[in-house]
Amino acid sequence: MSDFKILQRENKGVSVLELKGYLDAHTAPKLEDAIQNLITSKRYNIVVNCKDLSYISSAGLGVFMAFIEDVRTNKGDIKLSNMSPKVYNVFDLLGFPLLYDIVKEEHEAVQRFLKSK
Amino acid sequence: MNLRRILTLGGSILSGLIVLGLDVMRSSVDLDVTGLMLIREVLVIAAFVLLYAFLELSETRKAEESVQKLGLLLVVAVVVALMTSIIMFTSDATFEAKEGRLLPLGFNAIVLASFVSLSFGLLSIILFRHLRVLTLYKRKKGTQRNLMIQIVLTLVTALSTVGLDPLENTVVTSVLFGLAIGAMVMNSFRLSWIVYLSKREKVFSLVYSFLLFGVMTYLNVLSHGKVLNEYLLYHSYPVREFSALTLIFGNIYFGMAFVSTLFHLPTAEAFERKTTEITSLHNLGRLINQVFDFNELVDTVTSMTLQVCEAKACWLEMVHGREGMAGDSSRSDSRRLNLQHPERYLVQAVGMKNIQLEEIEDLLPYDEHTLRDVVIQERKPLVVDDLSRDGRVKGKGRNAPRSGSLVVVPLMSHTGMIGILYATKEMEFGFFKDDVEVISAFADQATIAIENSRLIDESLERERLMQEMRLAQEMQKRLLPQALPTLAEVQLDAVSTPAFEVGGDYYDVVMLEGDRLGIVVGDVSGKGVSAAFYMSEVKGIFQALSKIHRSPREFLIEANNALASSIDRRSFVSLIYGILELRTGLLTISRAGHCPMVLSKKNGVTYVRPSGMGLGLSIGPAFADAIEDLTLQLDPSDVCVFYTDGLTEARRGEEEFGYDRLLESIERLKEQDAPEIKNGILGEVKAFVGNETPHDDLTVVVLKWCKTAP
Repeated sequence: MSDFKILQRENKGVSVLELKGYLDAHTAPKLEDAIQNLITSKRYNIVVNCKDLSYISSAGLGVFMAFIEDVRTNKGDIKLSNMSPKVYNVFDLLGFPLLYDIVKEEHEAVQRFLKSK
Repeated sequence: MNLRRILTLGGSILSGLIVLGLDVMRSSVDLDVTGLMLIREVLVIAAFVLLYAFLELSETRKAEESVQKLGLLLVVAVVVALMTSIIMFTSDATFEAKEGRLLPLGFNAIVLASFVSLSFGLLSIILFRHLRVLTLYKRKKGTQRNLMIQIVLTLVTALSTVGLDPLENTVVTSVLFGLAIGAMVMNSFRLSWIVYLSKREKVFSLVYSFLLFGVMTYLNVLSHGKVLNEYLLYHSYPVREFSALTLIFGNIYFGMAFVSTLFHLPTAEAFERKTTEITSLHNLGRLINQVFDFNELVDTVTSMTLQVCEAKACWLEMVHGREGMAGDSSRSDSRRLNLQHPERYLVQAVGMKNIQLEEIEDLLPYDEHTLRDVVIQERKPLVVDDLSRDGRVKGKGRNAPRSGSLVVVPLMSHTGMIGILYATKEMEFGFFKDDVEVISAFADQATIAIENSRLIDESLERERLMQEMRLAQEMQKRLLPQALPTLAEVQLDAVSTPAFEVGGDYYDVVMLEGDRLGIVVGDVSGKGVSAAFYMSEVKGIFQALSKIHRSPREFLIEANNALASSIDRRSFVSLIYGILELRTGLLTISRAGHCPMVLSKKNGVTYVRPSGMGLGLSIGPAFADAIEDLTLQLDPSDVCVFYTDGLTEARRGEEEFGYDRLLESIERLKEQDAPEIKNGILGEVKAFVGNETPHDDLTVVVLKWCKTAP
């Protein structure tokens, strides 16, 4: 159906996952695998850049919930950035901003990781 | 007996008796008038023609029966031979030859002449009918025509003697006689019936044709002897000619049949086997369309292979693909098999005939590299001519055969290899090329059958699941309110439709103490069955806790605690809960991450969105801090709409129905009653989405306040 792509890169030692397209129950396993791989290679500072994310379903949100505990106990974090207003609204309705670090721009998120070191 | 048969038999007997009477009369009185003799001849011929007609009417035989009834023919021929022999040896000086004519020397001679003529005539008719069926057994171009030529020649030969004196000979008759015999020789090559006999039948046929050949020869010689010849000639020259020719035909035909059967005997077994192979394949092909039970199928395949190849043992092994993909590894007799290459297979022996699992394992151990692995890799049939000399067969165990041969054939479907068919024989070099071919053919048929039965099983399973889902759907419908309370203060209406059979949307309306009305709408993350389970849990929690907690916020905090223990960490539930005081029109709303409520007042339509967080996202203070109670005063004609994201996220292509459209719809509909508002919203969403199937559950609850403030 709809396309979903993940681009993984490094920004000043922080792992960045760029999401593109539709994140729903069908595509969520892709993101799950990507985050799991980062955790397996002990990379706990993760920024998820949602610049090109056009839709996120509850299953997509569940992916972040699945890993946040693991990452935080390892003194890392999953920070989210560059959300479109529509995607932000989905996070916001559910109260995610109270639990997750959601910032406007990717570099802010990276900055926050660097500061906390 | 029907009328025609009575008439033919009666006519035949009557003609015969008239002729006998005439003969008695002409022995004492000279009645040798040409006309009368001609009438007599006609009567004799009529008697035999009617006899023939009677036999034709009495029984019509199939070719197969004719072969089986050769014995009966033999008995008739032997009886005739015995009787005529006795007559020949007991009678002397019967006729006196005078001017080419025969004069009987007594009453006895006349009666015996009739009897001998009848015996030979009857035997000839029976013989002829037999031979006709055998000759026409497998018709080719000209088969029937050749026989017709022979029959015509025989009859013309016989009729050419009508009116001749008994001792007279003509060139025409002799020439015709010769031509008829020529035709007989030609027709005697029509022996295809022998080919289709079983070996046992061929042995019988050999004996019968030899004996028949003997008796026919004897009768031929006998009938040309002076005594019998005179009897026959006296009674009827044409009948004598017919009998003579038919007996000669029988003589030649059975002689040929004997030789032919003799030559067919060595190939009888092979021919029989080919026939069995074809029949078995045919039967198997038919079974495929009838049997869908897996075990019955493999049983049929292995037992047919056993039977056709005359193998000692036969079994089938199902190959269940790579490990981890194996569908039914739960089966107790599955064996794990290691291969040299990284792929691992699971094989399972089924339909074992004359062999035990232990023996198979001794022959081809499951945990070693054996012939099995070679076939799995090469996917071609393999033959082991001598088990004791092949390294690919282990045969180390106590039960393993020390000798014999083995054939291994893979079952290849379009998706790959699904199994392996094995057959063993006790002797070395037991499997020839054609054995392998027929086993391969069985394997192909078996593949189709097994694939078929799998497909059927799958569709049955799907049918069963659909039935279960329908049941679940019915049950879930009952978890939603069957009827909404009817109140003077408010109008209420609601609808909830899952995207699949079951869904994760939930709504409920309860009456609480103190004249208060509780309205809840919720959405479980995800869709389908897992969402439906959480939905029923939420229902339980709501029914239990809503009565206890006075404020929506308190309820949501407790609901979050209650859910925390059971909910998967990647799932959550969003709820919006409002408590309406029916006396005052005060509505208190609390939101656990759910879509904001739409409030329509006289001066406009807005979203009411107290801060909040989804249930299951966090336990403890973070959740409690996020939740707030928000209290509103409802005025007459105010409308509240609760809904799930299935409404706002209803899609047409990439575009969503969205929050703005929802507000606009309600703005348009707000003057109407609650049911019309609900239907109006659904109608607009439907019109927006068009033909696309809904991708999420959808719930709408509409509340309209009707009471004027006190």
